[in-house]
Amino acid sequence: MDDIRLLLVDDEEEFIKALAERLNMRDLYGQTAFSGQQALDFVQQHEPHVMILDLKMPGIDGMEVLRRVRKKNPSVQVIIHTAYGNDLEEAEAWRLGIFDYLRKPVDIDLLVDRIRAAYKSTD
Amino acid sequence: MVAGGSLDSINRPRSWTSDGVCLPFPWIGAKAKAKHKFFNMKMYAATIEKDVLEPRSRNAYYFRQKVLIILLMTMVSVIPLVGISYFSFQYFKNSWIDRTSVELASLADSRKETIELFLANQNNQLNGLIDQYPAEHLSDQNNLEALFQAVNKSGVITDLDVIDQTGAHLAYVGPFSSQLAGRNYSQADWFAQTMRQGEYTSDIFTGFRGVPHIVVAAANPERTMILRETINLDLFNSLLASAEVGDGGDAFIINRNGEPQTASRLDSTATPFSPQDVSADSGTKVFTTNDYIYSATSLKNGDWVLVLKESMDTLLSEYNSARNKAGALILLAILLIATVATVLTNSIINRIRVADEQRTALNERMREVEKMALVGRLAASVSHEINNPLQIIENQAGWISELLEDEKQGRISDFNEYEDAVEKIRSHVRRAKSITHGLLGFSRVEAAEHEKTDVNQLIAETISFLENKAADNRISITTDLQENLPSIRTDPAQLQQVFLNIVTNAIDAIGHDGSITVGTRTIPGGRMVAEFSDTGHGLPEDIRKKIYEPFFSTKKGENAGLGLSISRNIVQRLGGDIESSNNAQGGSIFQVFLPVEPGSI
Amino acid sequence: MEEPTVLVVDDEEDFVQTLLKRLRRIGVDCDGAYNGIEALDKVSERDFDVVLLDMKLVKEDGNDVLREIKLLRPETEVVILTGHASASAGREGLEHGAFDYLIKPVEFETLHEKLREAGRSRFDTADGRAPEKCKPNS
Repeated sequence: MDDIRLLLVDDEEEFIKALAERLNMRDLYGQTAFSGQQALDFVQQHEPHVMILDLKMPGIDGMEVLRRVRKKNPSVQVIIHTAYGNDLEEAEAWRLGIFDYLRKPVDIDLLVDRIRAAYKSTD
Repeated sequence: MVAGGSLDSINRPRSWTSDGVCLPFPWIGAKAKAKHKFFNMKMYAATIEKDVLEPRSRNAYYFRQKVLIILLMTMVSVIPLVGISYFSFQYFKNSWIDRTSVELASLADSRKETIELFLANQNNQLNGLIDQYPAEHLSDQNNLEALFQAVNKSGVITDLDVIDQTGAHLAYVGPFSSQLAGRNYSQADWFAQTMRQGEYTSDIFTGFRGVPHIVVAAANPERTMILRETINLDLFNSLLASAEVGDGGDAFIINRNGEPQTASRLDSTATPFSPQDVSADSGTKVFTTNDYIYSATSLKNGDWVLVLKESMDTLLSEYNSARNKAGALILLAILLIATVATVLTNSIINRIRVADEQRTALNERMREVEKMALVGRLAASVSHEINNPLQIIENQAGWISELLEDEKQGRISDFNEYEDAVEKIRSHVRRAKSITHGLLGFSRVEAAEHEKTDVNQLIAETISFLENKAADNRISITTDLQENLPSIRTDPAQLQQVFLNIVTNAIDAIGHDGSITVGTRTIPGGRMVAEFSDTGHGLPEDIRKKIYEPFFSTKKGENAGLGLSISRNIVQRLGGDIESSNNAQGGSIFQVFLPVEPGSI
Repeated sequence: MEEPTVLVVDDEEDFVQTLLKRLRRIGVDCDGAYNGIEALDKVSERDFDVVLLDMKLVKEDGNDVLREIKLLRPETEVVILTGHASASAGREGLEHGAFDYLIKPVEFETLHEKLREAGRSRFDTADGRAPEKCKPNS
């Protein structure tokens, strides 16, 4: 499954880099973006299959990124990965259209599972 | 009271103590509540600590328990078994010996009778001869020979002798005529005794051809003649030989001094008792030693003792074989008991161990859960309290901002700085507010926005969000939605949030392989209910009451545990309520009750 | 519409003082009270359009004060200020006759608007009471 185009978005650089490494060990290679703007730029240019998206980010926050990506690049499967367990946001995210909504800390194997499942669901 | 985890009361400053004391500050109440909880937890933790054993010593502990119980069980079964068997066998053995003693004694008696009768017979015979025939007649050799033939039909008499008062032979019939010719018995003891007492019976001696003989003599009343006969005691031998004393048994006669009178089968006439113990008056006595059982009775007025001897081994051979068989069976039984005890104990202790371990694990989990809930409550109470100073800060900052508006820009240097600074204060107050409100689950400050909502559709949409995830975990979601369910006036976004929360919880409760059923229907009283039933792990009694507490979560780590408390808040604000229970399959049922506006379609 | 007359009831002096200043600056005729007793005194002396009542009072139970005010002046609208916003807190307040509730910390603009709303409602409805809010089923 090496050809999954994966984008990891989170404003905590250390965290997301570590996550990328752990995913590498499991044969998943993802690009990293540290802000909403970076994420949007990347999606514009490279259109990944799956995007792991954090919600709480300065500037353009995750929800806004989600909105725009759903509008412009609806084929991208978005998995929200956030520390804040706000059900209201979750409901809104679902309504916008996501593949899954995971709360930090998430089990790495579960995450890998969901990424692969998300990739599979892209036609 | 905040710390109590119930967001229901509006800052009612009461402590959790039942005396209803109105404490001045809610915070103090919170501390009291927290302390109360801590106290309980400490006690609780102390109990748990005792149950927890180090892994190494835990093994030893259970092993010890097993060994102890097995030993106990085995002993309790075996000791009575062995004890009873032992005593039974002892009793049996003793009564067997007793019985044999009696038989032996009566055997001795019967033999004694025969012998005494025989001896008496011979005596009588002699006396009869003396009575019947005058001395002159008897002294005649030919007469004697004729008489001898007549009385000796049985061949018991070896010879017959007539002796006069001087001790000289008058007549003799027998094989020793040549040896005895010319002999004179006047000096012999038996002669003197016969002359004195009128009769005499000798001891047994080995006579002619090695066969035991005795001599019986009788004198006539005038003491002028003695009739003497030698009797061969083959009879005795046969009598003794025929005595049923079994293998290893013996029968013999000894005299007062213990000198053997007859041959012994076993070549031993030793007795554990002294012949003098047995007298004519004492009757037949029985003596037992470890090896033999003896019955002894006196003969010839106490001169002789007839001893019948039976070997214990022979006697007890049957008993011994029975005992040995029983012993073997008992050993087998012991083995069986020990085996069963071991297997049973093993199984039971293992089960106990598993239960102990499960309980310890459960206790630990409960502690964790309680800890988290406690932390949650503290966090909630802190957040709560912060709202007050935040309000004041906001107020003050706003005031400054308004005052600045009135000032002319030029009059204050750094005017812009003040403005910016104040704005930043207000912005960060907003930020702080969102943190605390987010923590406390206040998703909307304003009242909910109500619109006409099709609940069935809302549910269907919610399910569609989680379809994927459910399918991946082999969880089926089925719906049973009332067809003509009326639309209700409510906040769809918030309601969907609630449904999402409940279904997500259901999926988590199931884990893998299960099903969730969602149903809607109107119920009397102007209400409707949306029912969510799952085949998950269900809600144990003690947890059921706590699930609506903020920060309560049975899932380790993830999810602050606010979901259900917020959901219930939302539903209650929408005019309804949430109830939970367990279903027949052990899973949970969540029912969301909502008001239906009268007259709506 | 002109500004309603307002009584601010809160045990935090700082808050009351500054709030009164801000309200007066924009032309609101207002007064303050620092506890329930004082509030009831002032309400009985003067017919305020709106009372802003903080539920967290040191000496008294906010609900009790609310009830008393409504008994004294049934037409006066009460806006309650609370740290809680759980359903039953809101419900309870509304049941006891509050017009609406606000959760701290609340910005001045929002507060002011709510006070005006309460004031308007007093004159909009025939009996001077607020329209029925979502009541729970009994």
